[in-house]
Amino acid sequence: MKRTMRIMLMMLLVATLAVSLFAAGKSEEAKPARKVINLWSFTDEVPKMIEKYKALHPEFDYEVKTTIIATTDGAYQPALDQALAGGGDNAPDMYCAEAAFVLKYTQGDAAHFAAPYKDLGINVDAKLKEADIAPYTVDIGTNGSGDLVGLGYQATGGAFIYRRSIAKAVWGTDDPAFVTSKVGPGWDKFFAAAEDLARKGYPIISGDGDIWHAIEGSSPQGWIVDDKLFIDPTREAFLDIAKMMLEKGYTNDTQDWTDAWFADMKDAGARKAFGFFGPAWLINYVMAGNSGGDKPGEGTYGDWAVCEPPVGFFWGGTWVLANNKSPVKEAVGKIIEWITLDSSNTGLQYYWANGTLDGPGGTKDTVASGTVMQKSDGTLPFLGGQNMFDVFVPAGAFATGKNKTQYDETINIYWRDQVRNYSAGLKTKAQAIADFKRMVADNLALDV
Amino acid sequence: MAQKGVSYAKWGYIFSIPFVVTFLIFSLYPTLYTVVIGFTDLRGLGKTAFKFLSDPFENYKLILANVTFKQSLANTAIIWVMNFIPQITLALLLTAWFTTRRFRVKAQGAFKVLIYMPNIITAATIAILFNSLFGYPKGPVNDLLIRLGILDAPTNFHLQKWTSRGVVAFIQFWMWYGNSMIVLIAGVLGIDITLFEAAEIDGANGTQIFFRITLPRLKTIVLYVLVTSMIGGLQMFDIPRLYLLGGPDNATLTSSVFIYNQAFSGSYLYNRASAASMIVFLIIVVLSVALFFIMRDKDEAKARKRERQLKRRGGAV
Repeated sequence: MKRTMRIMLMMLLVATLAVSLFAAGKSEEAKPARKVINLWSFTDEVPKMIEKYKALHPEFDYEVKTTIIATTDGAYQPALDQALAGGGDNAPDMYCAEAAFVLKYTQGDAAHFAAPYKDLGINVDAKLKEADIAPYTVDIGTNGSGDLVGLGYQATGGAFIYRRSIAKAVWGTDDPAFVTSKVGPGWDKFFAAAEDLARKGYPIISGDGDIWHAIEGSSPQGWIVDDKLFIDPTREAFLDIAKMMLEKGYTNDTQDWTDAWFADMKDAGARKAFGFFGPAWLINYVMAGNSGGDKPGEGTYGDWAVCEPPVGFFWGGTWVLANNKSPVKEAVGKIIEWITLDSSNTGLQYYWANGTLDGPGGTKDTVASGTVMQKSDGTLPFLGGQNMFDVFVPAGAFATGKNKTQYDETINIYWRDQVRNYSAGLKTKAQAIADFKRMVADNLALDV
Repeated sequence: MAQKGVSYAKWGYIFSIPFVVTFLIFSLYPTLYTVVIGFTDLRGLGKTAFKFLSDPFENYKLILANVTFKQSLANTAIIWVMNFIPQITLALLLTAWFTTRRFRVKAQGAFKVLIYMPNIITAATIAILFNSLFGYPKGPVNDLLIRLGILDAPTNFHLQKWTSRGVVAFIQFWMWYGNSMIVLIAGVLGIDITLFEAAEIDGANGTQIFFRITLPRLKTIVLYVLVTSMIGGLQMFDIPRLYLLGGPDNATLTSSVFIYNQAFSGSYLYNRASAASMIVFLIIVVLSVALFFIMRDKDEAKARKRERQLKRRGGAV
């Protein structure tokens, strides 16, 4: 009895193996339309959008397999690169790239994986015009041969986001126009404002990382010029700015994306921080969740406002790309078009800008399409009822992809490490710059 | 009637085929491939074509001249020593306690499990946990030290080179001392019990028994622990990489993190990464051989030598 059972089991096993082998062989032969889209992303934003797309379009019968790897610690890129290079049935059909490294995937070392949008069945030129897409998004997403391979759905021009109650305590008013004239234009006015605030016991920002994004984004040149490392004077000045701000007590000396930085968003830090530099996504996806409340009066919720920054900059943003070896290009094309180029009231960007992707009352954001921005409303209870689009739409004009390089994520890690060592007084400026150059030369084989 | 014996030998070979095939494809081939690309110009994402360099050792020369690589080797050695000395000391001490015949430690099983436990948790989790613990300007360690009055203001531990090295070494130590202890206890249990009894009858005390009987008999096991820990330590990757990405200022950059950075963090210098791995491999081989040589049983070697001499003499007669 036992023996027959065992034999039966063996036969079953062999049968399943044979069937699966046979099936595999067959699918290789006939190539029936695959109904699966492999999606790689570093947040759940795009996966959630696709859920919405599927809800809106019941006839779209593809299954979406999502792989999410966070960009913290630089883990996303190596994993995505291996998946793209490895190819095969599980290779990404659609993948997302962040501003810090998108150029690698659109114009740099990994550009050969990306499919031009026109090959996905998208009428690129007409759609770009109709949606009035922010030019920097298009520049960054265009490859060496002039084909558009990636587009973002957000516009990530940055503003200065400050605390209304602190502005009132220090200057007697929380009017955005007044605060704009206090903190800018230019860094000299910003530091004068910092001095005002410091005297009352408020650091103007939380840590050196906050001001770094503004400095990085406003520098005319990127890290690499003519295949050589180039330290733009604007960026080199960050060494002394960081040190000066630390010494004068203009910051709480936190590091961005650490617990202490998040704590400063809900007054849990050593001293109440006055503000943060950031685009609309920082407000909605980072600050709102860390404000210690979810309606005005709770935590710092509702006590914020946005004004123009001392220098223009942009920070972050997600570009959506398709794999040119994907067997499901047309389906991917439909999703990409809906996300990046559909400016109608049922396009992703309209929902995204008005915070209605998951029903009314969601988080609002600035989007790449000017057409959509014109018909959208950016009033936020988090900002005490201010319409944030008044500040963020003009801020988008400062956004440029010209000072970006494909190695930014790696180089910035080395740079920020050296700046922290210098500002803490652990090494001289010359030493910090020399060590930074050595790190870049030793690890990236770039001329310095 | 001559009966043929049944040979089961072939089954041994048949059953080991899956392992051998897997090993050849997934272990041996990649290893050999790594060796080969160290002599080529293979770099850049998604490239598979390569040609051999006119100077086959160009990558090796570049790596040996690479200041960051030398720094990473030094860090690896420092962090390994910082972790191994307390690890083997504590493991030996615990072994002595758990195996002593003078008294029975109560709830031994529970202790062993608790001590071994850190080894089960993923190193990545622990590295990230410690990063948060030592957070600045707010973090549990800072809060505690201030509340105890040891510090006046929060200290940025993540900028202190030796603190960071110490934390990485501590995590390594904390995760592995239980494992070493289990191996050592197994070794002690293998020692002939009559030796202990004889020593006791002769009036040896616990310390004497430990140093005169347990430790000498345990030499091979200690050597095993030393060599495996050294190999593991020289390949230390996940903890330093996730704790502070090899920072601050490269203080916890180990050779494996360096190799990873070469291969995957920007320029995809596969060839140089492979050259660096081969250099680390050679260092491991040399150190392991040296350890075996130092720790060899000198009496036994002498005895064998004498035996050989005797045999030769006997043959001559």
